[in-house]
Amino acid sequence: MADFSWVSRSPLEHALVTGTHGARGVEAGVSLTEIRNFDLIQVMARRGQAAELAKAAMARFGVAAPDAPKAVQTSDATLIWSGPDQFFVLSKGSKHTMQTLAPALSSPASLSDQSHARALIGISGSKARIMLAKLSSIDLHPEVFPIGSAAATSMDHTSVTLWRGGNRPDGQALFNLLVFATFAESLWHTMLDAAAEYGVDISHSEELA
Amino acid sequence: MRIVCPFCGERELGEFTYLGDAKPVRPVAGASEDEVFDYVYLRDNVAGATSEYWYHGGGCRAWLKVARNTLTHEISSVEPALGAGAARVGA
Repeated sequence: MADFSWVSRSPLEHALVTGTHGARGVEAGVSLTEIRNFDLIQVMARRGQAAELAKAAMARFGVAAPDAPKAVQTSDATLIWSGPDQFFVLSKGSKHTMQTLAPALSSPASLSDQSHARALIGISGSKARIMLAKLSSIDLHPEVFPIGSAAATSMDHTSVTLWRGGNRPDGQALFNLLVFATFAESLWHTMLDAAAEYGVDISHSEELA
Repeated sequence: MRIVCPFCGERELGEFTYLGDAKPVRPVAGASEDEVFDYVYLRDNVAGATSEYWYHGGGCRAWLKVARNTLTHEISSVEPALGAGAARVGA
């Protein structure tokens, strides 16, 4: 039997060019950061087992899993609502993988590994919300979409999971976006076009914000 | 047109897909050919209050049952369809 060596690569490795793009002579108004090498598990309650899943998730994570469009921070993971009776577990460093979550959650829920099926993009900067307003019909004003808000929605006809994480150290809002890997490049170019007039700082990171 | 998803809140029409009339009920096993034909093919073209299935595919991927008036486009209720969300089966 042939030996295979699988190398995981970012779906944005061709489209993403680090540096400053768009408007010149101004401070970049939008910053786009792709987060690479994360663990993402989708947890969906089995039919009629939502209450059992809520209990099991509470025991596993120490906080209640979101039952409405919210993102909840635990000590080492983010739980993001993705639909009725389902949520994502986002983490780093193999803390929450299929192997570690299955014993705790697979009785009341179906688990599915989405680590390499999504791209994760962090959007911040003084013009981030104005840029996102071109692409999303969701009201992202801080009074309506405060820290911890989440939405399963569409941008440029592409399904995305959008949530507001904790503010960056400089106090600016941070929006996180999960998009299907095969749609990531298309949405990336769309976002770049939308952000160009404000100046864009592009980078990638191994760290969850 | 906007639909207020019971899970996500108010969203634009582009996030939803129309499935069709929510009225027809699958006939019991052994029903007559006429009943099955009626269920599969025959639809009323209602001018007024209708009940429809919509799919929130651009959002939470839940099936919804929407009561809509085809004359005014007024939506009077939106509820999860049978099976939308594990906890809400039968809601």
